[in-house]
Amino acid sequence: MNNKELIASMAAKMNAPKSIVAMLLETTVATCTELLVEEKTIGFQSFGNFEVRKKEERLSVHPSTQIRTLIPPKLVVNFKQSNILKDKLKDMQQHD
Amino acid sequence: MIKEKISSQEIIDLVASKASVSKRAAEEFLKIMISTIEEGLLAGEVVKIKNFGTFKLQWNEPRKSVNIQTKEEILINGYFKVVFIPDTELKEQVNEPFAHLEPVELDVEAKKNELIDENEVVSDPLRIFTEQASEIKNLISEIQALSKKSSKPISEEELIQEIKLYDQENDQENEEVNVPEKVHENIIEGINTEIINQNNQVVKDSIKVEESILIEETPQVQDNSKESSDEIAENYTEVIPINSENIKTESVSDLQSTPYLENIKPTNKSKIRILILLILVLVIGSGIGLYFYYKPTKELSIEYSIDKISQKISISEIINSVSKWFTPEAKSSLKAITIVVPKDTNDYDSINENKPIDSLQILFENPRVYNNYIASERINVGSRLTILSKRYYGIKDFWVYIYEANKEIISNPDNIAIGTIIRIPKLDPRLIDTTNPRCIEKAKELHDIYIR
Repeated sequence: MNNKELIASMAAKMNAPKSIVAMLLETTVATCTELLVEEKTIGFQSFGNFEVRKKEERLSVHPSTQIRTLIPPKLVVNFKQSNILKDKLKDMQQHD
Repeated sequence: MIKEKISSQEIIDLVASKASVSKRAAEEFLKIMISTIEEGLLAGEVVKIKNFGTFKLQWNEPRKSVNIQTKEEILINGYFKVVFIPDTELKEQVNEPFAHLEPVELDVEAKKNELIDENEVVSDPLRIFTEQASEIKNLISEIQALSKKSSKPISEEELIQEIKLYDQENDQENEEVNVPEKVHENIIEGINTEIINQNNQVVKDSIKVEESILIEETPQVQDNSKESSDEIAENYTEVIPINSENIKTESVSDLQSTPYLENIKPTNKSKIRILILLILVLVIGSGIGLYFYYKPTKELSIEYSIDKISQKISISEIINSVSKWFTPEAKSSLKAITIVVPKDTNDYDSINENKPIDSLQILFENPRVYNNYIASERINVGSRLTILSKRYYGIKDFWVYIYEANKEIISNPDNIAIGTIIRIPKLDPRLIDTTNPRCIEKAKELHDIYIR
């Protein structure tokens, strides 16, 4: 399901035009991004948490050339599903 | 850092205010959004949100674990996990504080050492070659020294013997021989010091002889010449009367060596006579010296024709030897040149290097004026001049120019107030040539000035 399909399905559910849904989605994404840039954790109830984690600098050794490289620290967005979602997914296990 | 957690409610409020919709609408929208994503995931689909990221399911295999307290084995069932892969856009924005950092290779020094080793290996054959060359050179010089040593005693020993033999020869022949030898002498002169030394000896002898002759009277000398029995002294006495008798003919034959003899007529003035004698004796003496020097290589041969051949051989040999003496010199001079050449090229290179530096130098020295601007940027949390520099100029080192252009606004380049609008100046492309190390060097210089 790509962005367009998501908007379409959402529009159908909301009984709202796609353009408005698209606009709302965009603003939501923008808001989330802004918050994440400020290193804030966003919690969506019954869905999960988005948080920024700092990956510390580390040494990586190239397995074949043995060249050691210092990888600088970086910030990554991490998503952790909520338990509610987890349970829902557990039920899905039968399908697999 | 304590992370501030923002609840769904806060998000709803923010979205509502931003999109200027009612909170209820925003809340509804968010709920639907989450439910749609969930649905999509539950249907086993990958849900992608533009500029945000992708949600997908990951199957975690069941695994065995041990209860730490009871030490009982437990089986953890396999389960699905929602994985979120942030979009590059989100990734970059979140990672902006560390965006200017790049992976650094640590084993650079070790690598360099390896490279040096490789160079040594490469240079080995070259070194061997130079060693060989020097060995050859040494050998040549040794051979030369040996040949010189060997030639010297022989010439000295045989000189006496040949002088004896030579006395029996006709003086006319001597004169004739002298002429071609003179020509060769001109070639060899200045190179062969031995010959000169010998000549000098002969000349000295001849001077003594001459003095003795002066005392004696010409008829007596003629008598003595007919006898022609003894050593060099008499040899010279022989020469002199002939000279006095046939000055003209001999001077013609001697033209090449002593041209001014022509002008001299058999005047009885003693001074002129002495002069003539002196010159002739000199010429003859040098001729004899040369003759004996050239001859020693061959066995003694009295006959003139054989002598000539032997001379020819000896002369050719001498020329060879002379050329041999020359070659090492030439080699050494060549070497000197080859040594000089890299120097020159170095100089040339430095000149070449200097030229662009000069034009750049002017560019560097002149105060930069910032009139044109490409863009303006708002300073956010995590914004840095280096990042802006990298974005606009391709390399972070040129941040100094952005700083220079915004000096009035920025008090401390390390800590710019959030919300500051910074203008990105348009720079001379030569100044921000990322391929030119000079530009980067200059930027680093400025960096050192500003960061202190």
